Amino acid sequence: MEKEEIKQKIYELLEKSKGKKKLKEKDVIKAISEETGVDKDTVKKALREMIDVGKVMYSYSGGASSVEIPSEEYLKEKGLL
Amino acid sequence: MSKKYDTPLLDELEKGPWPSFVKEIKKAAKKSERAADELGQVEKSYKTKRGYWKHGGIVGVLGYGSGVIGRYSSLPEEFPGVAHFHTVRINQPSGWFYTTKALREMCDMWDKYGSGLTNMHGSTGDMILLGTNTESLEPIFAEFSSRGWDLGGSGSAMRTPSCCVGPGRCEWANIDTLDINYALTQEFQDELHRPSFAYKFKIKTAGCAVDCIAAIARADLSIIGTWKGDIKIDQAEVKNYAKNGMDINAEIVDMCPTGCMSYDGKKLKIEDEDCNRCMHCIAKMTKALRPGDERGATLLIGSKAPIVVGAMLSWVVVPFIKLEPPYQELKDLIRKILEWWDENGKARERIGEVIEHKGMRSFLEYVGLPPVPQMIKEPRRDPFFFWAEKDLK
Repeated sequence: MEKEEIKQKIYELLEKSKGKKKLKEKDVIKAISEETGVDKDTVKKALREMIDVGKVMYSYSGGASSVEIPSEEYLKEKGLL
Repeated sequence: MSKKYDTPLLDELEKGPWPSFVKEIKKAAKKSERAADELGQVEKSYKTKRGYWKHGGIVGVLGYGSGVIGRYSSLPEEFPGVAHFHTVRINQPSGWFYTTKALREMCDMWDKYGSGLTNMHGSTGDMILLGTNTESLEPIFAEFSSRGWDLGGSGSAMRTPSCCVGPGRCEWANIDTLDINYALTQEFQDELHRPSFAYKFKIKTAGCAVDCIAAIARADLSIIGTWKGDIKIDQAEVKNYAKNGMDINAEIVDMCPTGCMSYDGKKLKIEDEDCNRCMHCIAKMTKALRPGDERGATLLIGSKAPIVVGAMLSWVVVPFIKLEPPYQELKDLIRKILEWWDENGKARERIGEVIEHKGMRSFLEYVGLPPVPQMIKEPRRDPFFFWAEKDLK
């Protein structure tokens, strides 16, 4: 599977869980790896690339971290939009 | 800046001989709007008995998931200076050694971008900068990293490893805590900056069992310097201690937790096979007693402060390990430990809690450590053995 397709799958998963469930980085990697059959390291690299360009961001609540799609407002603050 | 708020309740906290955070915030408030509004908001909290801080969310620097903790006021119109009041954690140098030049630079940068208030140091060990806004985060990171600093850990990440001053100042250090800490910080950069665990994971390295850094109570992995073999005794110095007024029986022998010492007024004797290397006698009679020459560390797992379940102390898992650069055995073991925790831990569950419900057997089998009697859960009370079904046949 192409890396861009994996990224698309990650994005879709995060969009689907938005407002419902906070997903840890490992939850995303495990779910996409199981869904696509791609090894976890490759999924992790794809996710990290999305994080590096601000397509996905870490969030923090009650001492625990998760990953999610950032709001447009936040991306504007970061100069990414 | 003139005084912005009356703070009669906070003023009470300036009374008495002890240091006061109010006094420090007031000093900062003379030149910082943020610090001034913080005083106003905290005074209001004391009056109404309510907190007005919101916490968390997506706040950080690009690519990192750690190092910035989002904090907002729920009264931004009333206290605009603290509408955003984010915390920035800076990875401290091993043993907290700074030059005054570095501290001045850091304070200048923080006056420029933040409230000027710092916490030296947070309980994890980082240098903590209190109070800035979202727009300033990237510039702060750029300025700090251009001077060789990096952000520390936060959230579900490896927290910034910390250590005691070790051989930098202390004659009791059995291991090079500073070098071990630096090596682990470099090794686990990804785990530190990109939170992917179930919850936090702390590593603290103490040079000896005096444990000035309280690793045994605060770290998921406590590395505590120790030795193998007999304590070295200089009987002439023992005599000097007695001559100078030390009551060796009361202060040393009777205080030994394992009762492995005796003193007949002439000679101090130690039954080394019964010694648990607590360091009490060595720390009290520095000139007379020294640890043996074969130095290394005891590794303990699972301590934490009380959040999900109560406070826990670390549990010995490796009674003795040699620690020499590049510390590969230690690094490999930590990776195995993290893997097991990752497989078995639920959200917000520390490794000690997972060991409690999954059992030490599951943990030891996975990480490949043989159970040995020295794996003491609570010191001097319950050394344990366990057997697999096959061993009982």
